[in-house]
Amino acid sequence: MNFLGAEDGQAHMGAGKEGKKGLVHPVVWVTLIVFLLLPLVISKPLATEILIYSVFALAFNLLLGHTGVLSFGHAAYFGLGSYTAGIMYRYFNAPVFVGLIAAMTVGALIAAGIGAVSIKKKGVYFAMISLAFAQMFYFLAFSPLSNWTGGECGLKSIPKLKLDYPFHVDLMSSWNLYYFTFLIAALAIVILWRIFDSPFGRVLQGIRENEERVTACGYNMVLIKFVSLIFSGAFSALAGSLLTVYLGYVPISTLFWMTSGMILLMTLLGGIHTFIGPVVGVGVFQILQSTISSYVERWEFFVGALFMALVLFFPEGIVGTIKTKYEGGRKTVHE
Amino acid sequence: MEITWQLLLMQFIFGLSIGSIYILVAGGLSIILGLLDVVNFAHGTFYMLGAYTLYVLISLSGNFWVGVVSAVIIVSLIGGLTERLLLKPLYPRGIFYPLFMTFGFSICIPDLIKIIFGLTGKGIGYPAGFMGAFLLGPIIIPKYRLFIIGLTFVTFLGLWLFLKKSNLGMIIRAATRDSLMVEVLGINISRIWTFGFMLGIGLAALAGAISAPMVSAIPDMGLDILIDSFVVVVIGGLGSLSGAVIGSLLVGQVVSFVSLFAPAFSHAAIFLVMGLVLILRPRGLLGEEGRF
Amino acid sequence: MKRLFVILGLLSTILLFGSTYAAEQAQLGMTIPLSGAYGAFAVDMKRGAEMAVEEVNAAGGLFGKPVKLYIRDSELKSDVALRRFKEMTEKYNLKVIIGSLSGGISLVVNEWACKNKLLYMSFCHTSIPWYKEFCGYGFGAGLVPFQSGQAMAKYSFKNLGKKWMFIGYDYRWGWDNLRGWLAESEKEGAEFKGAIYLPIGTPDFSAFIPQIMQKKPDVLAMAVAGKSLVSAIKQFAEVGLTKKVKIALCKGQIIDFKELGPLCDQNIYGASTFYWKLQDYYENARPFVTKFKDKYGRIPTADADSAYVGTRAVLEAMRQTGTATDVPKLISFLKGFAFQYNKEPEAFRACDQARTQSIFILRGKGQQAKGWDVADIVTQIPYWDTMQTCENNAKGFPYAQIKLPGK
Repeated sequence: MNFLGAEDGQAHMGAGKEGKKGLVHPVVWVTLIVFLLLPLVISKPLATEILIYSVFALAFNLLLGHTGVLSFGHAAYFGLGSYTAGIMYRYFNAPVFVGLIAAMTVGALIAAGIGAVSIKKKGVYFAMISLAFAQMFYFLAFSPLSNWTGGECGLKSIPKLKLDYPFHVDLMSSWNLYYFTFLIAALAIVILWRIFDSPFGRVLQGIRENEERVTACGYNMVLIKFVSLIFSGAFSALAGSLLTVYLGYVPISTLFWMTSGMILLMTLLGGIHTFIGPVVGVGVFQILQSTISSYVERWEFFVGALFMALVLFFPEGIVGTIKTKYEGGRKTVHE
Repeated sequence: MEITWQLLLMQFIFGLSIGSIYILVAGGLSIILGLLDVVNFAHGTFYMLGAYTLYVLISLSGNFWVGVVSAVIIVSLIGGLTERLLLKPLYPRGIFYPLFMTFGFSICIPDLIKIIFGLTGKGIGYPAGFMGAFLLGPIIIPKYRLFIIGLTFVTFLGLWLFLKKSNLGMIIRAATRDSLMVEVLGINISRIWTFGFMLGIGLAALAGAISAPMVSAIPDMGLDILIDSFVVVVIGGLGSLSGAVIGSLLVGQVVSFVSLFAPAFSHAAIFLVMGLVLILRPRGLLGEEGRF
Repeated sequence: MKRLFVILGLLSTILLFGSTYAAEQAQLGMTIPLSGAYGAFAVDMKRGAEMAVEEVNAAGGLFGKPVKLYIRDSELKSDVALRRFKEMTEKYNLKVIIGSLSGGISLVVNEWACKNKLLYMSFCHTSIPWYKEFCGYGFGAGLVPFQSGQAMAKYSFKNLGKKWMFIGYDYRWGWDNLRGWLAESEKEGAEFKGAIYLPIGTPDFSAFIPQIMQKKPDVLAMAVAGKSLVSAIKQFAEVGLTKKVKIALCKGQIIDFKELGPLCDQNIYGASTFYWKLQDYYENARPFVTKFKDKYGRIPTADADSAYVGTRAVLEAMRQTGTATDVPKLISFLKGFAFQYNKEPEAFRACDQARTQSIFILRGKGQQAKGWDVADIVTQIPYWDTMQTCENNAKGFPYAQIKLPGK
């Protein structure tokens, strides 16, 4: 039956009851429909960015909210995914899909590499080390490898992208671009949900709740964390490659630690203990940022203050807090 | 370029002065890490606050030394307040939330400084008597760099004596090993934590203040130093203060000599060293086995 | 049914014509790094652009309405700049964009403008008009970094010495300045002693001092600016380096000169496109300087001049062509457009759309500096001595062939 023991864990996660039918939870369907209609409500660039960062946040939260592992260097996967796609398009004239797949592969490999030397470390130390590695990639892209990466200016001269297969689609039009991104993102979201909802996903949550117990049940905890990291890295890289397609260019900020910080912020804002929380966090944050920064020059001050308030008073984030209120009195399980 | 022993010696001395700043910052970080198990993302921010407080105090008092001492005291107090008000409520929530809080702090406060002091930062003059350099033939050694090396040495000696010889120091060392035990023995562990945090912050603030004449007080000056300190702590060994010292000296020399031979790598090199250490000796040079 | 169609057709035709006629609204979208480390310089660009817009609005605006200038913060990040431009152009249906302080960002924006057929007027030191970067939609009201490098080198080799070394930021602006220096060095037979590339914003130059001292150059070319430069000079002064070498700044910004105070002595030189004391030499510099000073409390910098000139030229193009959205028309007006705004007669060269302007070499005044009188103009180098011919630029000659040492 249920090896987690505590009923709280499973019910709180809302991960689905036994014998669940259908491909995905209704929440996911609602999200996809919202995204389908989003560009009618807000500007297409903003909507595309929300899509991209949602995928990134979900991938990031696979590791943080579901496995309980904090990585402060996820910009590495995002950025390297971005650069991989950019390099494939610019130097090898690769088709769009090839760039995306190459990016995911690189993301997975890098995650494997970093995981190999550090996944055994305890929570905060893994966080530090992941940050340091991410910065290493940043500095490498900045100076020594600048002939390939364009250095501080980023990777330019990416040719105009278009799809040739299965239809001919010009990706310069912002509508086409949005719905192309939507297709890929929707696929990623569904896959990530399937991971979350699978037996593997349950074990991840078990690790988050109680590492020793999971080990006692005979699971190789280190291996499982490692695999989770690889999935997280691969999908973060996918998000990065989508950014390359959207911008037509790779900025070096994709590798900078602020990117890691921002995705953490957005994920936390939405709520790390739910599946769809991060997406809500991304949406709210991006829209806020887009509106506030036109009026306020020092918006980072507000973001920082918001973050501190969030951590102190609303650690479960938007969706998490709503959920707890809705479920009325159910004790939330903390890290 | 001709490699002479004079060139190498000068480069070594610059490496020592770079390393000294790391000793102060990474040392403080290590104390907080070991004692509270908190990765202080705001460590760089307090470094920066040390520099800005010095600027303000010099404007008020006109004296560099008064400025430095007061900056350390004032920023330590700010650190103590931060720990009490912002971090303490989060300890029961687990290891990540205090970290998140320090991260939020590190985004918010530099912007506050930008609002108050403007965007471009403030210049600070060298203290009288420490301008210029000693000339020993072809070797030129700036006086201020020697001062930094000397001050760091004295500070650390004082810190070591305090930790080894005093009662409070002993309690801190014990709490770093096992906070629960110390609490069981009847000591108010919460106060120890606050004090330890203030100690770590004080070191960072000192580093910021004495760096200021060289690099100016800039709102974002804490960023780079923070990440470099992480690298130092990982290399030196998590939880080991002497490891932080060794790591700092090593990293200082790496930065210095890489700048000489391959300046483009001067930022990336220390991460490569860190990667190497993680592969070959995962617990760091002087780290404790199994703790992390 | 048929009648309905005819009425509808008539109505829509009237509406269409009516709307196109009334639709002309002059508007510009600008992004500059107001919140990065170079905020102080970005503010000057903002002011220059705003002043040009206000002048036109005070005279009645364009097409019967005030000109609208939308300003967004790029945070010194290229993806943020792109995002802001994307949002602005979509929201306001903009066809003309301006701005950018960072050369690197301007190149990215230029590429995007070309892909989307927008007119882009840049204000900074950037290689938009040059070789492969040039794509017909970007204009440069600032300077191409090769020029500033070559101008500074030209002066240095003639007056300061022929043994030189370079230390500069490791990105396009730094590299292009170095190429300018190398080109001039080859021409004059100067002795190049080496180049050090630094990450942008490096605050601690101590690790580089021993090698500079060992090589004993006459001239140290520096492609460094802002607070970083101030730190560098201070640290060099610590060891007495500033007395032993002449410092040649690829971008001599008077904000930096003032910040350095007495350290900015006669050993420090810088290349600049505008200095407020030009009002003693050029008639029309005076009103510009005075107006700016009255409005903003201090004299305009070269960045303010570039922004003002670029904005004013674009608005003039709109006025004379009668359109704010017909990009090909605006471009063909601006190509070869000659004007004299703040100093000498200048133009946007037709072949590469770069501003033909001369470069002034400034020298620090050390103890004699007072207020904003922080430099003397030692020479003026006309544009034909620093700009390559159209054919050379199209071929990328000679800079594209220059291999940067260590890269």
